[in-house]
Amino acid sequence: MMNRTHSCFCAVLLLSLPVSLPMTGAAAHPHVWVTTHSEILYSAEGAMTGVRHAWTFDDMFSAYALQGISHARKGQYTREELASLAQLNVTSLKEYGYFTYARADGRKVKLLDAADYWLEYNNAALTLHFTLPLAAPAAAKAMQIEIYDPTIFVDFEFAKDAPVLLSGAPPQCLLRADPPHQPTPAEQLRLSQLDGDPLDASSSYGEIFANKILVKCP
Amino acid sequence: MTIMPMTTLRRAALAAMAAILAVSVIDPVWAQAVSFAAPPHATGVMSQSAVMGWILTRQAAFYRSLSGFIRASRDDGAAMWGLFGISFLYGIFHAVGPGHGKAVISSYLVANEETWRRGVVLSFASAAIQSAVAIIVVAIAAVLLGTTAKAIGSTVHVVETVSYGLVILIGLRLLFVKGRGFLMACRELIRGLTWQPASTEAATSLHGSRMIVLRHDHRPGTTSFRCEPCHGGDNDHVHGPHGHDDPDHDRHESAWGHAHGPEPSELAGAGGWRRGVSAVIAVGLRPCSGAIIVLIFALAQDLFWTGAAATLVMGLGTAITVAAIATLAVGARNIASRIAGARSGLGMLTMRAIEVGAAALIVVFGVLLLAGYMASEQLWMFTG
Repeated sequence: MMNRTHSCFCAVLLLSLPVSLPMTGAAAHPHVWVTTHSEILYSAEGAMTGVRHAWTFDDMFSAYALQGISHARKGQYTREELASLAQLNVTSLKEYGYFTYARADGRKVKLLDAADYWLEYNNAALTLHFTLPLAAPAAAKAMQIEIYDPTIFVDFEFAKDAPVLLSGAPPQCLLRADPPHQPTPAEQLRLSQLDGDPLDASSSYGEIFANKILVKCP
Repeated sequence: MTIMPMTTLRRAALAAMAAILAVSVIDPVWAQAVSFAAPPHATGVMSQSAVMGWILTRQAAFYRSLSGFIRASRDDGAAMWGLFGISFLYGIFHAVGPGHGKAVISSYLVANEETWRRGVVLSFASAAIQSAVAIIVVAIAAVLLGTTAKAIGSTVHVVETVSYGLVILIGLRLLFVKGRGFLMACRELIRGLTWQPASTEAATSLHGSRMIVLRHDHRPGTTSFRCEPCHGGDNDHVHGPHGHDDPDHDRHESAWGHAHGPEPSELAGAGGWRRGVSAVIAVGLRPCSGAIIVLIFALAQDLFWTGAAATLVMGLGTAITVAAIATLAVGARNIASRIAGARSGLGMLTMRAIEVGAAALIVVFGVLLLAGYMASEQLWMFTG
């Protein structure tokens, strides 16, 4: 009787140990660097219909992605030779939501599968072109598009020259492109205490590293 | 009689806190795990994350400069030394981030009462295996077979999954062994408190701090002095821990019998080394994504062997960081052990609890890695 009570107490003590170990989050560890050009697409009626990306990978990751891709001339790859790789890229990216998060007046907007995609090889770097159509055209006052990888395996950076363009937007629309800012002490604190699921697109965690595109139309 | 358990409790609590504090300083992953129990002071966390931020910025800069050095070493032999230097620094800084088995190795060392010297050896061995696996994977898949990044990515994925599975198995085995050690220590302590606190004190002080009191019950001499107060007591002597008819007895002699860890001298033996091999292989099996990318980039420049050498140098840097953290973990454990061990049965229970916690951490790490929560290196993000 006494013995059983002891054993139970001990077992409870023991079981409480692993429970008190909370989850640990992923930390910054980029291995892929992407320089982004984006074009925001609008319909004739002035509603946003999608975004066209041109993402250039760093030379080391480009070499990795090109491993084993057959090509006729050394150091050169044609769009046709890269077609299967481009297909693979967009299929893989789908799993990560194309690292693109759109909001219309603060509400999340669904993106459809990538269309019109191809790869080009220039100066030892691959550039992936693809278009992400919105599920439905959005005519919001404030459209926000963020590009980031919540796990920070991929480091996204706006290109130096004209990283974002508006294509067919009403002339009174204003465009802003904000690169990730240096985390404030409060954000740093939150980051270091992060123990939630970093892959949740609705969490604000990745925003610290997000490249933000804002289009305001009156 | 009522005062003594109280002070024992306080000492044990102090010892546990000292251990947790010591460990939380050494590794952000541990710190995260611990912050739940005791929220650290805000400024401390901030400075820690600032340091981490700086380290991660540095390692990213080193990594990005690698491609330039590899290109340069094609035409200029002297640039190769620059490449090795950067690779070495990159390894040191890079290993501070997630992966590379720091957390698993540190937890393993803490749970298993390993010496710091073995910690250093295990760290270097696992880093060496990690580099070797990356070189072998790229040599076979890319150089010999000419496969695509997708095939290499899936190979790495399979190897990684096996590695995480092994980590979980090692953790579960340790959890089983250490959990039993804890249960025994706990049951014994409660019995001691219930019947004869004085005799528990006597037993521990007689036989040294690191032993579980129970072990000595099998020796005729100690059995007699343990039994004497029990038989004199008025309650519950049927369940006494003494005597060979005790149901616990057989378990002590089982294959897992070293529930309270071997003495340092035993660790030095060949068998002791063999135990660490499983942990080293489990941790080292998973190649670093960075090494794979660097190797393939070097291969694309027709500099595979330069890349392989750079990978090994990178591993050397990684090993230094992992070894440093592992040494700190072992040091923290020894301090906790000295505080807790010099006292009574409860101090011992604290140590057993720390070991169980460390073993549980290994399982948690393994599961999180397998589930993809902690794995931030996903080579197949773009290439299937």
